[in-house]
Formats: sequence, C-alpha cells, structure tokens
Amino acid sequence: MQSSYNSHVKRIVLAIILFGLVGFATKTFLTPDSFGMYGHYRGDAIDDEAAREMRHMGNSSCLPCHGYEAEAHQKGEHATISCEFCHGPNGDHAKDGKKIGVLAVKEGEEIKVLCLRCHNKAIQARPGEMIKTVAMPEHLEQKKVKTTHLCNQCHYVHAPLKYIKRAEEISGVKGGDS
Amino acid sequence: MKIKENSLKNHDRRTFIKKVLKGTISGSLLLVIPAGADVGKPEVGNGPMKGKQFVFIVDVTRCIGCGSCCVADKREYQVPDGYYRTWVERYIKDIDDEVFVDSPNGGVDGYQEPRTDLKRPVRDTFFIPKLCNMCQKPSCVQVCPVGATFRSPDGFVLIDHERCVGCAYCIQACPYSVRFLHPVSKTAGKCTWCYHRVRKGLLPVCVEVCPVKARKFGDMNDKSSEVYKLLSGPGVITVLKKEMGNKPSLFYKDARREVV
Repeated sequence: MQSSYNSHVKRIVLAIILFGLVGFATKTFLTPDSFGMYGHYRGDAIDDEAAREMRHMGNSSCLPCHGYEAEAHQKGEHATISCEFCHGPNGDHAKDGKKIGVLAVKEGEEIKVLCLRCHNKAIQARPGEMIKTVAMPEHLEQKKVKTTHLCNQCHYVHAPLKYIKRAEEISGVKGGDS
Repeated sequence: MKIKENSLKNHDRRTFIKKVLKGTISGSLLLVIPAGADVGKPEVGNGPMKGKQFVFIVDVTRCIGCGSCCVADKREYQVPDGYYRTWVERYIKDIDDEVFVDSPNGGVDGYQEPRTDLKRPVRDTFFIPKLCNMCQKPSCVQVCPVGATFRSPDGFVLIDHERCVGCAYCIQACPYSVRFLHPVSKTAGKCTWCYHRVRKGLLPVCVEVCPVKARKFGDMNDKSSEVYKLLSGPGVITVLKKEMGNKPSLFYKDARREVV
C-alpha cells in the first residue's frame, strides 16, 4: 500500500495524543484525591496525623478511680508531677473506661533511681529555686538512718512530706532542713 | 522590492521595543498580582486551630534534666530505642570556658551521674531540651521530592507516612537534626508538637508532664497567654541557628551563647 504524503505526520500526532492520554490517566490514577488541597501535598495527611491515638490522658484521668492517691498528690509537693511519668501511660492501662492492663509499680532500688532523676545534688545543674536536691548517702547519714534505706521508707511518694510533717506535729521535734 | 520595504517598515526598531516592553510588563504583572492561589482553600480542622499561631518556648533556667519529657514522648509515640523525637542535652562549661555536651540515651534515663571525665573544675552546667523547631521556612519541606512533608496551614510541619519513600533528604536538610528514619515504617519521623493532641485542644505531652514548667506552649495571637507575655516582654529570647534563616517557632529563654 502506498502511504500518503503526510502519513508520518499523522503517526507522530497520534503518538503524541496517545502518550498524553496515557500520561494524564496514570497521573489522575496515582495522585491522591486530596493532593493539592492546601499545597503540594496530600491534604488528608493532616487529618491522618490528627487522628493519631492519644496514649497520655493527663492527671485528671487518674482521679476518678485512684481518688486517695490523687488527692494526696494534689495537696503535696509533687502536685506538678505527671502520674503517667512514674506509672506509665494511660494507653497501656485503660481504654473506654475499662481496665486493659496493669501498670507496674516501682519497687526497691527502682524507687531510688526514680527519685534521684530529679533530686540528685551531684548533678550540679539543678537550680535550687526549682527543686530541692539531696546528696546521697549524706542525706541518710544526716537523718541518722541506715544508708540502705530507700526514699519511700520516710517519704510518701505521692506527697513526700505528708507523714514527715505529721510526725513533726505529733512529736514536736523538727527534723531539720534537707 | 516594494514588498520587502513594507515588511521592513512594519518591523522597525520602535515597534520591536514597544512589543518587548508590553510583554515584559504584562508578564511581570502576572507575578505581582496573586493568581488566586490561596483563594477558596478549605479551613483545616475546627475550633482549636482557627486563627492561632502556635509557638513553643523552652525556659532553660527552669529545666532540671529529669527527662520526664523524653519518657513521655517515647511512650506516646512508642518510639524505638535509640531514636528520639525529643531529647535533653547537658551542657557543661569548665573554668576555661571549654564546653562539653553529652546526652546519654537522649536523656530518657535522666541524668543520674555527674561527668567524671572532665579535668578542670566545672563553672556552669545546664540542660537544653531539643525538639522540632517548626520552622516557618522549613528546609526539610523544600527538599522533599514527593510532597510527603509539608507545613500545614495551621503552621505545623508534618509528615505524610503514606507518601514518604524514605529517601532521607529531609533528614540531611534539617539544620537541627530532629528527623530520623523510623526503623519499622522506613519513613521519616520527627516531633510533631503533638499535633493530634493540639487539635483536640490539649497541650503537647512533653509540656503536660514537665514538672517545673520548663516547656511552654501556646498561641501568640492570644494576648493573655504566657507565651505571648514571654515573647513580647523583656528578657533573653533566642532561636537555634538563626543564621540558617529557617525562622523557627521554637524559642529558648535565657539560653547561653554556647547553645547551638
């Protein structure tokens, strides 16, 4: 068959149109719907991030079930400390008002490690106006107790001076500072 | 010959320059007049985000380096060991003003022991918490080849974990090294200022758990907020690596000049 004088042009134009159509279809297919909603990104990604599950619910969420500890905590010197910091996040403990897991209670040496995260005087970077620090074991020696004593043997962890103040009131003897 | 003269007359220098000028002026007008790029864009979220400009302030003089923030952050996002969305650095200045910086396990375990490897007496020690700077001109967003990281209309630099291909350009581009490649999802990860909490009207979790209020978060457009009072009042307020021009929304109160 004899090709017409412009058949090569027709072929090229056809190829370009086909290429464009395939390209456009692929782009439409691969680009997410919300892409370009706010800018050069998928707009729905913002809501995806906002929908992330919360695992910390704050101190107020502990109050309804753990009233005794919560009340002592709110009145004491440790009021600004998050329950979840020492005990673990709410997400591992409760869901939709139901208990789903037990948070481990710190015991023994763990308690001391936890207390000294904030109260260790040896780290000379803790402003005195922010926090009361103690040197170990000098603090125990000064209080005339065994150096193997753990912090929670004198200090109630939720309100560290609660029983010490009480004892001072009853006995009339001041324990002295730090 | 007559025809040639005519065409020369039509295309003389005068009309040519006129045409070029017209083209240039109308072309540049296109750049100056906004072409409706921001018109008709939907509002993000509702309630808590409307008309707000969030900033984060770290008060260096208050931080005691307990690491509560690092622990809470690790738990909130279940960050694998060895990766940190936020971390606390310890700066030590000795008597000769030499600076030593360390951050064992990112401060997650707190600072239990003083440094024993320093030869000269210590003059000053302080803690510097680090997190995403939420730059107004984020270089991480600029380099992303697939549009997987972006600055949302409410000012948060976020990551689209569905689109991220894990090329790690953004990790190299971030001047503050806050990004990392998540070992499980193989996508970029970083601090989001707890966007999911802020959208619900809550504070970021590190701010919530800080026992000494060293971390502050709030809305600059709210004239009664603590952050507005701090940033509009006197006192030393700095940003990290200002010369990079990223315009961070994270500010440090009373940070020493050694802090980078």
